[in-house]
This record gives sequence, structure tokens and C-alpha cells, in this order.
Amino acid sequence: MARHLLYFTAEDHHLYRSSGGKLELEAKFPGDDLGVTAFREHLRGRKGALFAVVADLAGEDFHEEQVPVLRGSDREAVVQRRLAQRYRDTRLAAALSLGRVTGPQRRNERLLLASFTNTQQFTPWLEALEEADARLTGVYSVPLLAPALAARLGARGRALVVTANRAGLRQCFVENGRLRFARLERTVELVPHALAAFVRSETLRLTQYLQTLRALPRDGAPLEAFVVAPRGERAIFEQALVSDARVVFQTIDGAQAEQAIGLRQVPDGAAAEALYLHLAARKAPREQFASSGDRRRYLVWQMQRAVLTAGALGFAACALYAGTRWFEGSDLRERAAAQSNEARVAAERYGRITAAFPVTETSTENLRATVLEFQSIARRNVAPEPSFVHVSRVLAQFPQMEIDSVNWSIGRPEDRRDRKPPAQPVKPDQGGEAVVLEISGRVNATQRNDYRGITAQVQSFAAALESSGYALVRTHLPFDITSEGTLTGDIGGSDSGEAPRFTIVLTQRLP
Amino acid sequence: MNLTAEELKKLAAPLLVAVALLAAGAALIWSTGQSLAGSKRQLAAAETERKRNTERLARIAEEQREVSEKLDIYKQLRQANILGEERRLEWADAITRIRTQRELLDLSYRVDRQRMLKSVPGKPDNIDFLASKMNVQLALLHEEDLLRFLADLRGSGNAYYVVKSCSLARTGQAATGTTITPRLRANCEIDLITALDRGAKK
Repeated sequence: MARHLLYFTAEDHHLYRSSGGKLELEAKFPGDDLGVTAFREHLRGRKGALFAVVADLAGEDFHEEQVPVLRGSDREAVVQRRLAQRYRDTRLAAALSLGRVTGPQRRNERLLLASFTNTQQFTPWLEALEEADARLTGVYSVPLLAPALAARLGARGRALVVTANRAGLRQCFVENGRLRFARLERTVELVPHALAAFVRSETLRLTQYLQTLRALPRDGAPLEAFVVAPRGERAIFEQALVSDARVVFQTIDGAQAEQAIGLRQVPDGAAAEALYLHLAARKAPREQFASSGDRRRYLVWQMQRAVLTAGALGFAACALYAGTRWFEGSDLRERAAAQSNEARVAAERYGRITAAFPVTETSTENLRATVLEFQSIARRNVAPEPSFVHVSRVLAQFPQMEIDSVNWSIGRPEDRRDRKPPAQPVKPDQGGEAVVLEISGRVNATQRNDYRGITAQVQSFAAALESSGYALVRTHLPFDITSEGTLTGDIGGSDSGEAPRFTIVLTQRLP
Repeated sequence: MNLTAEELKKLAAPLLVAVALLAAGAALIWSTGQSLAGSKRQLAAAETERKRNTERLARIAEEQREVSEKLDIYKQLRQANILGEERRLEWADAITRIRTQRELLDLSYRVDRQRMLKSVPGKPDNIDFLASKMNVQLALLHEEDLLRFLADLRGSGNAYYVVKSCSLARTGQAATGTTITPRLRANCEIDLITALDRGAKK
């Protein structure tokens, strides 16, 4: 966003517009009431525009003070009190920190109090900005901007920055990047040689004055003075500015200085103040003279920008993160496409090869599944015929046995729990399905009360059946000879004639 | 700095824009996250397919041998009408024919509704193995009649016959001499198994 800069001198005021490294002269106003009126007129339709005032006045006071080291509102209160003690009108006053000093008893902060001897001259101009709803970014003086220029010109430690401005010859003493003192000496129209000689004499005077103030050590190294010569006059200045034991002159051409601060275009007629104006627009220092009340609209605008910037930064961060994920996803998609391609190539090769297979009526998978399933069913399928044949063969050896029923089934022996508990101990089942063969019958040609004989015959028959892979599960006798059961007898009683019945259960494990 | 209501109002629009930007950023992250998850799934599926196809290709020689081996059995199953829809009418015809041929005294049967059989793991989806339970009651003169009946039933085809149980018991009826009296009664439970291959060519 373009910034408007009001170059405020003791006579005329020039309004510049700074945008993209270019400085353009917008208007020129006389310093009287007519000028203020013209300025008000000029501000019409510039609501919300950013304005800064850069004062280049001789009546600027600098005073060094020390305050206790404090922070926050305490420091602010002390600083405001010192400013009020020093200046009658503190509307345009600033306190520049010069760093801390450790005294014998406590640590202090050195402050450079600065203000204008006549702040009233600014009032109508600031009010005009207020009325026009313009945003005041700050009220600066050329000395406040000098440290930034000194840094760009390569000044280190103690240095003087000397420029020939429209308002006069500006000399600023900068120490370790901080302003210590400044003065403005009015100049009349001088030829370059005369101006150069004037610069030299004034610089030497100021150096002597600073030594008097003890701002410079009396027997220290020579002070470096960075003199910005008007465009194309460097050679003339270098001739005049001869260094000696007190001052070492560094002459910089105006064009070179503009390049050093990034100023690409200067309006015709502008002198070295263009350098300060550009710095006020692009690299404004934190210290300035306007109160927060005067800058309120600008501060709110800064907050708006900060909120928007935070949102934009948040979005950018999200977009960046999303971008990395998108690239990751893109990489995965490429890999997936490559894998799919490989799968397709393999499938096509498989299809070409299987096309040469014997003609089948179904797919290879279905063919395999069907055959495997039926092979599995066939393996588990057991016909009852071999069991019946086995019983028949054994029965031929026991003519006294008469079979009533034969139950053949596939299952688990323990599934037959509806039956009576076994008279004989059951052999432990070894798990899995089995052929279960249950044979019920009668023992003929043996007396019913011949328990021993019946038991022997049934057990003998069961033992004969327990062959060819069959295992005896239980034998159920017509009477209970176990310790858990009840054994009854009727010796000498009449025989009913009914043959005693038995049941034998066998199993044959399936493969 | 304390802000007035008017100044707060001035901050509302930038705040809304900032919130909208942050929401858009979050939505962007969410959408790329979804896209990334989708890509991961896509890659996993593609890798699985590639692996399966490559392995299948590597096993092709074995498969060729397997096809040659199994094709004969498959053809036999098809010729025996074990593959395809159930043929209940053919079953009824076969039982009637057996009864007549073997001169069985009494034969009754009941075929229950078809059910799905549990199959080997990895079975293709387009093939099902099905079974129908049949209960058969026979009146017999001799126990060998049962064995002949079972053999004839197996030979009749149209299903794969799996005998689950068979009981044989005396009827206890005395022979009269004038009529043929059954001496034995058999009761059998038989599974009639068929396979429905929907991938087979008609």
C-alpha cells in the first residue's frame, strides 16, 4: 500500500508518495494557514490513506537522562513524567533508549529525550489528517531516521551522518546504531565547492562541540563522518573533505546512497531528504513522536492487517501441509498405478497361458474347488455295508447270539447320551467323527440266572466284534455287575423262558 | 490499548476472513487427508492384486497339471448330474425303479429342503455345495435287500449319496405262509449332495 509522507520544514511542506521504491512529489504546501487549507483540500477523498510526517527542523531538542531500569507500565509512567518535566507540550515527544548503565548503587537506563521546541506548528496539519480520517503512521524527525541511514551506509560505532537536505545541512551523531545528537544548519544556495567547504567546517565544529559535551573522547580515534554528496558531486566533495586527526570523511554519492537504501526513483528537485523519506516509508523506526491517540486509526489498521496476515499465514501453513500430503498421495497413486499395471500384465500373461490349457467348462478356480470339495466329501463318506458284513461274519461264530437290531451311524460316540449309562468302563474317545455301531440282541441256550455264563458269552462276542478297526465303547448286560448298580437273583425260582438281552456299542474312527 | 465498539466492528470483517481462511485451510488438510487415505487403500488393493496375479502366474505350471488331473473328475461329476440344479423328479423315478426291480415290499421316503454345506476355505463365490436330507424306510425280507438298495441308489446318479445313518431291526411279525411278511425294517438317513457352479458354461 502506498504511503504519503509530509516533509515538514520551517518554510514549505512537501507531500510525497512512496510506492515500490519510488518517491513521487504529490504536492507542495506553504507553512502558513493557506497551506493548511490547501492540505485539507488535498486530503479529500483520501480517507484511510497512510500518512507519515517527517520533520526536518532546527528546533529539535535532545537531552540525555537516566532513569531506573523498569519494565512495562512502570517504565512508561517514569518516561512520561521525565518528558513532562522536560517539555511543556508532550504531544510530540519521544524517549529513545540508549542502553543501560551500571552505577555504583543501581542499574539505570540511559534515555535520550527528544521533542520540538515548537510543537504547535504541527497541530493544524495533524488535525487535518484526523479530520480527513487518514491513518497517521507516525511523526518522525530526520535525526530519528539517521541511524537507519548510517547502518545502510556502513557506519559502525561512533559516526556522523551528514546530508544536504532541502531544509539545510543535517548532521546526526550516531553511536552504536543509536542517535545521540543532531543539528540542522540552514544553507543558502551554494555552489558545490562552497557547499563542500561548508560541510567540512560544520563537521569539524560539531566534532569539537561533541568533545566539549564529552560525547566524544578527547584523545580517541578520529570520528568517521559519512557525507552524502549531491548526485554527481562526489569528486568535488572528496577534494574538499580532507580527513585529519579528528575526522575521517567518507564521501558517498547521492545515487550510491539511494541504491544502498533501495530508493529507485527520486523526484526532480529533491535533495538528500529523499533518503530519509524513503526510510520513513519502508524502514520506519519504532521510535517516533506521535502519541498512540494520534496513531489510533493506524494501529487499528495494523491489527486488521495482523489478523488478516495471521489468517493468510494459517491458510498458507495448512496449504503447505496439505500440499505435502497431496504430493504423498500423488506418489502413492503413482505407485498404485504401477502396481495395477503389473497386476494387469500378470493377468494378461496368465490369460494367454491358460488359453492353451485343456478346454474346461468352468473357471480353473471353480474346477479346483469343486473337485477338492467332492474329494473331501468322498474321503469322509463311509458306507454302512462293510460294518454290516463285519457283524455278519462275527455272528456266524456265535450261533447262540440272536440279533434284534443293528444301528449304524456317523457321529461321535458321546452324542449317544440318551442311552443308559454304560455297564462297563467306556474307553476314552480320541476325538473326531467315527462310525458308531450299536448291536442289540439276545443270548440263547443259556439260563437267565447264569450271570457268569451270560457275561462270558457277551464279552466273548464283544471281543470278537472288536476287530478290523472297531473299538468297543460299551457293553450293556441284562444285569448290573458293577459296584454302583444293584444285582438281583432268584436262585431256585422258575425260569421265565425269555432270553437275556444285551447291547454292544462299537466305534470305528474315520480316516 | 482498549478498543471501542466501532473499532471492534472494524476488526470483525478481517476476523471473519481470517477464520474463513483457517477453515478453508483445515478443509484443505481434511480433503487431502481423505485423498491420502484413499490413495493408501488404492495402493494396498493394487499391491494385493499384483501379488495375487504374480503368484498365480508363478504357479501356472502347477495349475496346468492340476487342471489336467481334476478335469476328468469334474467331467464325471457333470456326467453324473451331480453338478447343476437338484433333480428331485429323477430321484423319485430312481427310487420307484429300484423298488420295482428289487421287489421291495414297502418303501417310503421323505426329502427335506435343500441346505448349504460348509465348504473348504477359499471357495469361489460363484459355486455352492448343497445337500438335501432324505429319510428312507424299507420293509425287507432279507438284510441284503438294504445293501442292494443302497448300491442301486448310488448307481442311479443325479446326486452324490452320503449315508449318515442306517438302522436295521426285526419286525417281529411271524410268517403266515399265505402272504409275504417282511422280517426286517430298515431306516436310513442319506444326504443327497449336489454342486451349483454358476461360473460353468451352459
